[in-house]
Amino acid sequence: MSVVELRGVGKRYESGAEIIDALKRVDFSAERGEMVTITGPSGSGKSTMLNLIGLLDEPTEGTVSLQGRNVTDLSEDERTEERRSALGFVFQDFHLLPMLTAVENVELPSMWDTSVDRHDRAVDLLRRVGLGDRLTHTPDELSGGQKQRVAIARSLVNEPEVLLADEPTGNLDQETGGTILDEITRLKNEEDLAVVAITHDEQLVEYADRVVRLVDGVTRP
Amino acid sequence: MRIASLLWRFPSVLMAWRNLGRNRLRTALAALGIVIGVVAICSLGMATVALEQQATAQLGDLTNEVTVSSGPDSDTDGVTEEQVEEMRAIVTDARVIPQKTNATTLEARNGMEARMSVTGVTDASALYDLTEGEAPERLHSGALISNATADRLGLESGDPVEYDGRIYRIRGFIESEHSFGFGGGDLVIPVSGLADQRHYDTVTIIAADGDAAGRIGDRLDTRFNAENDEELRVTTFGNRAQVGGFLDTLSLALLGIGGISLVVASVAILNVMLMSTVERRGEIGVLRAVGIRRGEVLRMILTEATLLGALGGLIGALVSLATGMVLFHVITGDATGALGWASSRYLVYGFGFAVTASVLSGVYPAWKAANESPVEALRG
Repeated sequence: MSVVELRGVGKRYESGAEIIDALKRVDFSAERGEMVTITGPSGSGKSTMLNLIGLLDEPTEGTVSLQGRNVTDLSEDERTEERRSALGFVFQDFHLLPMLTAVENVELPSMWDTSVDRHDRAVDLLRRVGLGDRLTHTPDELSGGQKQRVAIARSLVNEPEVLLADEPTGNLDQETGGTILDEITRLKNEEDLAVVAITHDEQLVEYADRVVRLVDGVTRP
Repeated sequence: MRIASLLWRFPSVLMAWRNLGRNRLRTALAALGIVIGVVAICSLGMATVALEQQATAQLGDLTNEVTVSSGPDSDTDGVTEEQVEEMRAIVTDARVIPQKTNATTLEARNGMEARMSVTGVTDASALYDLTEGEAPERLHSGALISNATADRLGLESGDPVEYDGRIYRIRGFIESEHSFGFGGGDLVIPVSGLADQRHYDTVTIIAADGDAAGRIGDRLDTRFNAENDEELRVTTFGNRAQVGGFLDTLSLALLGIGGISLVVASVAILNVMLMSTVERRGEIGVLRAVGIRRGEVLRMILTEATLLGALGGLIGALVSLATGMVLFHVITGDATGALGWASSRYLVYGFGFAVTASVLSGVYPAWKAANESPVEALRG
């Protein structure tokens, strides 16, 4: 069973008289333990697709499924709960909160959840990405690669099924990008994750188990 | 670290506190606006309390007295025994003290003479404050004399004074300042000493306070006088009520001015919160993307506004307390008067207003930040 699945998904934006079909009847799925990259030129609909898989946005047609459950018509609050429990996000600009330490940033997704204490898991994840000695450093005391490792640890703190990455190596040099991709691959296997990454980066494509090409909102084999 | 681990249990407070710490200057300036508003409200409120206390102290006991004398339409040239009895029947909750007055000339051993008023009263202790000696509950023998007169004539306790052919021994001295009311208080002797006067010249009624005095005055006026027939002249001092009314108006006006400055401060907070949430748009998008609920974002930003208000309110209250003590020292001469509830309650009001205004100012920015679509917010 696919852990994420899009069936005939389209997304149409209407701004004034202009109608843009950012995504047209796209079918897509990803399995646990699999890393799929979505590539394509700017404006091909990569970000739109990732936002739909990540339940940040609603499709105008088609169905989105998560672990076999139809999550297309969930309310904003229900989608928030799904993101919290089943999805992890890694961004191009890391998006760490500057006033929190590394370990606090990792704990952030479960911060308001007083029923679980994710501190030990956060520390464990930071150790696993090689930042055991940087736990109480704030983001401005960390390098770009270290920040992205913190972001990866943050995305996994709630034990999600799917890791969504938006140009995870986009702001890193070739070598650092490579180690980040090694890290993601290792964690993908350890945690049995489905990883969906969008990228321009040829290096990232090399790490992928499968590549989906997107042109003008349509998938090409 | 211990504080941080405690705050961890209140994530909204932790996040709010850290966020406020990111731009300390902006936080300090926003809080300063609140401080100024609170100081304005508190010190103006406390100033009116100080003025009111001072005014009350200066008016003294006079305001709770009702004075009754014979009116222009009376058949007798004084207040009759029957009328006094009737007053006692009507006024059960205050002391009714009838007095007879006359004037006399006292001659001292050194040959000095002084013209003075003579008051005959039984219930002297209720009417006069003594600096020395004691006024018996019922004055049947002996005399009280004012300090000023005693000084002038060189009289001491136990010295004899003569009035109407009878000798009285001085048993106490009256605080001179007090007796600027009716009846005088130069020389006070038992009422029997003025037995040749059939009627009382004045009746003083001492009520619990100014309001009670006013009510007693009204009741007596209704009982004894008709519209065109003033049998008895009833005099009350409306002063306290009038002064109080004036001060109430003044304090409302001053609090209004203080309130405006707090409104200005809360607009500043609204502005600061709005700016900082717009700046942190992307960050709030990340929070929403990683599964932070809308209500949690709302609480975080409201807590920021609340902390700003509480911080400004607390500092404002402390500054106001100092200002209030200075005001009390200048106006009433007693700085500790500022600590009394009548005055210190303005500190509580000021703090409460500050927090309320800040929370209200935080509502819109918080709501706006929490309800933005995560996709839009992430775009920055």
